[in-house]
Amino acid sequence: MQVSTKWLKDYIDIDLTADELAEKFTLAGIPVENVIHAGEGLEKVVTGKIEELKVHPDSDHLLICQMDVGEENLLQIVTGAPNVKEGQIVPVALVGANLPCGKKISKGKMRGVASNGMLCSADELNLEIENLPEEQKIGIYILPEDTPIGVPAAEVLGLDDDILEFELTANRGDCFSVIGLVRELAVLTKKIPRYPQIKFDEDDERKAEDLVKIGIDAPDLCSRFSARVLTNVKLAPSPDWMVKRLEGAGMRAINNVVDVTNFVMLEMGQPLHAYDYDKVTWHQLTARRAVEGEPLHTLDDTNRLAKGGELVIADAEKAAGLAGIMGSFESEITEATTTVILEAASFNSASIRRTSRAVGLHSEASGRFERGTNEKNTIAALDRVAQLLQEMDACKVCKGVVDVYPNPKPEVKIKFTSAQINQRLGTNYTDEEIVEVLEALGFEIDPTNKVEELTDEVVDKFAAATKSIGKAARKIGEKSNVEELMKNLGSTFGGLFKNADKAQDAGNDSGVEDFVKNISDTFGGIAKTVDMKIASAYETIVPDWRNDVKLPDDLSEEVARIFGFDTIPSTLPKGNQQGRQSATQTFIDKIKSILSSLGMCEELSFAFTSEAMFDKMRIPADSELRRAVPIMNPLTDEAPLLRTTLLASIFENTARNFSRKNEDVRLFEVAPVFFPKALPVTELPLEKQKLAGLLMGRREPKGWSQNPAQVDFYDAKGIVEELLAGLSINNYFVEAGEHYALHPGKTAIFKKGRDVLVTVGEVHPAVAEALGIKKKIYVFEADVETLQRFAAKKFSLESLPKYPSISRDLAILVEHDTAAGEVEKVISKSGGKFFKSVTLFDVYTGERIPADKKSLAFAIEFRSNERTLKDEEADEAFKNILAAVEKDFGATLRS
Amino acid sequence: MEQQIKELRERAQGAINSASDLKELDEVRVKFLGKKGELTGLLRGMSKLSAEERPLVGKIVNEARAKLETLIAEKNSELKASELQKKLASEKIDVTLPGRRVHEGHLHPLTLTLNRVKEIFVSMGYSVEEGPEVETDYYNFEALNLPKDHPARDMQDSFYITEDILLRTQTSPVQARTMERHKDNEPIRMIAPGRVYRRDDYDASHSPMFTQVEGLVIDKGISFADLKGTLEDFSKKIFGEKTKIRLRPSFFPFTEPSAEVDVSCVMCHGEGCRVCQGTGWLEILGAGMVHPDVLKMSGYDPEVVSGFAFGMGIERIAMLTYGLDDMRLLYDNDVRFLKQF
Repeated sequence: MQVSTKWLKDYIDIDLTADELAEKFTLAGIPVENVIHAGEGLEKVVTGKIEELKVHPDSDHLLICQMDVGEENLLQIVTGAPNVKEGQIVPVALVGANLPCGKKISKGKMRGVASNGMLCSADELNLEIENLPEEQKIGIYILPEDTPIGVPAAEVLGLDDDILEFELTANRGDCFSVIGLVRELAVLTKKIPRYPQIKFDEDDERKAEDLVKIGIDAPDLCSRFSARVLTNVKLAPSPDWMVKRLEGAGMRAINNVVDVTNFVMLEMGQPLHAYDYDKVTWHQLTARRAVEGEPLHTLDDTNRLAKGGELVIADAEKAAGLAGIMGSFESEITEATTTVILEAASFNSASIRRTSRAVGLHSEASGRFERGTNEKNTIAALDRVAQLLQEMDACKVCKGVVDVYPNPKPEVKIKFTSAQINQRLGTNYTDEEIVEVLEALGFEIDPTNKVEELTDEVVDKFAAATKSIGKAARKIGEKSNVEELMKNLGSTFGGLFKNADKAQDAGNDSGVEDFVKNISDTFGGIAKTVDMKIASAYETIVPDWRNDVKLPDDLSEEVARIFGFDTIPSTLPKGNQQGRQSATQTFIDKIKSILSSLGMCEELSFAFTSEAMFDKMRIPADSELRRAVPIMNPLTDEAPLLRTTLLASIFENTARNFSRKNEDVRLFEVAPVFFPKALPVTELPLEKQKLAGLLMGRREPKGWSQNPAQVDFYDAKGIVEELLAGLSINNYFVEAGEHYALHPGKTAIFKKGRDVLVTVGEVHPAVAEALGIKKKIYVFEADVETLQRFAAKKFSLESLPKYPSISRDLAILVEHDTAAGEVEKVISKSGGKFFKSVTLFDVYTGERIPADKKSLAFAIEFRSNERTLKDEEADEAFKNILAAVEKDFGATLRS
Repeated sequence: MEQQIKELRERAQGAINSASDLKELDEVRVKFLGKKGELTGLLRGMSKLSAEERPLVGKIVNEARAKLETLIAEKNSELKASELQKKLASEKIDVTLPGRRVHEGHLHPLTLTLNRVKEIFVSMGYSVEEGPEVETDYYNFEALNLPKDHPARDMQDSFYITEDILLRTQTSPVQARTMERHKDNEPIRMIAPGRVYRRDDYDASHSPMFTQVEGLVIDKGISFADLKGTLEDFSKKIFGEKTKIRLRPSFFPFTEPSAEVDVSCVMCHGEGCRVCQGTGWLEILGAGMVHPDVLKMSGYDPEVVSGFAFGMGIERIAMLTYGLDDMRLLYDNDVRFLKQF
């Protein structure tokens, strides 16, 4: 919705600038998105008459003009324009003007002759050149002869208007009209609005109801259908003032009939449609659901086929328009039209919204219906059209209105108390203030109607309460009856007192006394609140244009927005609660903190992926990772699935980095992946938090004395080991494994029992190639829930050793394909009770040993927690270890 | 004899003075004061002296020894100092060469921002709640007073999985789920951070996935003033003590009254600049009093309790905090970008 400030000012006297208006509206919940100042830069441009014109003595193309600009003295201006003549009235930029074209006007001389201003061309005034007649496009812009002299040019050019562009919220359909906006403005400025008085003659004796038949076959989609018949219609251009108003609102003028219906829609918010009476078969219009496949030839000369179920307005033969959205091509008003059926109806917003989206047609009318129009307003809108066209001498009006309104909308009544409103807002507005605001907004409030029901209810309750308390008082001491009394009271007051239980404890007289006192106090309190409630209880009738107000809460918003949200105090919720996050959240935070401390950068990526990515990753056709949740309406065909593995995301990000020449990449992400419980999806998919990490490029940052080596498998594995240590996950084992996207010989699986903790490995060269990455990549992935399950819940501190340890080095030769991890396991097992740790510190293959062997060197530590170990004890243990590795791996001691 | 000692002492002094390094000095010491040194030799010759002379000469010799020892000690520390000086001079390195770096890890700027927001609310007594990213239409829309065909659904173009299952467009469904878990109008004070999805093109200010934090407080007597105070407190904590807030009435189907909340521009503090497009204000969140229908749908009695809710985009806050002008930076995961936080 956009509207010119002038149109608003037709109906209300306000002296606010457009920007002030915009702010006022916005802070009252009617947001103005943009203000267009049409006359910006024309503040010092006035109309002036060329009183005298002389040729410049020193120039053959300059002219010296003596201008009457409404001041005492004439103003001398030198111009170079050839199209000026004495007696013309033209726009004159005075000294100090700062024109929209960028020119600044100052005092000057042109070839020795003083010039105190400038005569302006259309271009310099920023007029829309295309719409001007040819002769006005170049040279000085010549104003009509009857133009007053010395007045602002913007006024004469119709540029003294500012346009407010509204971005209305979905609930305020009532502001989708000039009158709606004026109504708000009147409340905000406390000015009295002047709404147009609707007066016209029904000057055609024929009765509308004899000429047309109107019907509603779908009352759920069309609640009201009103029509008038106009005869002797004379199509003509609309008067200037109306064209200006329409253009200010962003609509194009077409002809008087169409323009007036548009004008009234903008003014009153009720969309209207004009049918050529003679093109409507049997002069009969019915609102009904379309039949599937029914042809629709709409105003835009497009042939459509109905989906079925959408609301159409049909004549006896065919659909004559998509209700509320667009009329039909056949019944459109043309030069030949003499009689018009004028429709003002009320359509179901949801239905209009659905159809409008389905056919991709959004019009000023459909926008209004979608937000909801005021169905009480249809006849007034028809009358206003009749009035305006009659005033233009463009028609006659038949007698009466045909109005089909099967279920008139009931009045909406709301009971409320001022305490309720103040409580919700945290304010202390007085009854008078609240009532004044609501009444100004059109809510009818009868101050004498103090909600009798509430009073009755309270009286009843008190009567019962008094009785019970009286009884209670008499029965004090008769312990046996106390319980019965409590039951009685309990059932009377229900939730009002929960301390009914306390009565059970009232075992002695003093307890009962206390209790009764308690009851009296409670009731005293209630009585007070109720008193207050009664004093400020109201019932109001919601004005018929406000479809959005239904509850006391809605009233509180009305009060708050008119007083201004800035008048509401700032407080904090009372009471204390303990803030916390879940164990899983804390665990994920810990993973992130450990990995970032290990030199890894956190990435965050979209949850989308594709079959093509699965192909690149070599995910087998029968893998459950291929069974991804499909999105019905993906943003692009490249991302139609929800990811089932985080590797898809981390690969994509790495490929992007590689293509940008970022070749040292260390990334990780913790995020959910999605697995459908069934395909096609019937219920919410499983969401599992996963962790993925990736390393590529230099082991150390590039530098003059840094190790230039590239990361390898063991860097990635080391990160995983550090992570597990940081998460207190111990006693796992690692074995060679397989993974679809990893190198078959460089994949390790960290396990605990049968559970996989982490998989780590070098990315399969075919995957790297498919990703376009010409480097070795190492990745790891894990399931967060599994990690969390095995993370030690309690921290256990290992105390520092009291006694020294003894270290022995074991260097052995084993077969080339012997797994060092297996050897370590055997060492640990055979090390005896003093064995503390084993560290592999050297691996060697090469010339100095046989080609099919490799050398492994371990540092083995022995220690007792009770005493200082003897060398012989360590030697004994070492001997056992050696025997074990000799036996299990055919190892020989390396000499 | 006396003469002899004097002469020796002079020679020794000369030798000490001319010693150019510690080794030479030591040789001098051995030559004169060592077991077989000259002075020791002289002492041995004392036996030839008379009993009267002996103590006299002995005294002179001892004086000479003491004197020479002092001189040697002095010379020794002098030489040591100059040798250290030399050593230090020879060890000079180019301190302008870059240090040996290690790979540093970084949390994503959105995580950093979200952590800050969580921290603030947890300290104010809020619990952090979570819910699924793929949601039912019921929780995402209907439980929030957004029935099918509600025009406000247009504001949020959604990714659908089926007619009734979609990628959540807001973290508000977590509110409904949390309320359902509570009974008897139990008070709630929670935030729900998480990823949400809207079918927006990916450009400088839009992203099909983004991060939201939704807040909800329910208790007896919660008012709009409480909401205002809470947001004011939060804004000051996240954007600085000088921050002001402004509430503009707005419309959300799940709150009544509803407000859009602006903070005074973090760049110009309200003067008007490029970031706030000259207005002095930045829109950062939407908020309001929970609509009674929303309370009712999730089992709360609006006659007994009331509540407020708010929702904010973490990307927006991160972009303001770090001065980013393109949202895509956050999801491109370029390591050159990630390493700056």
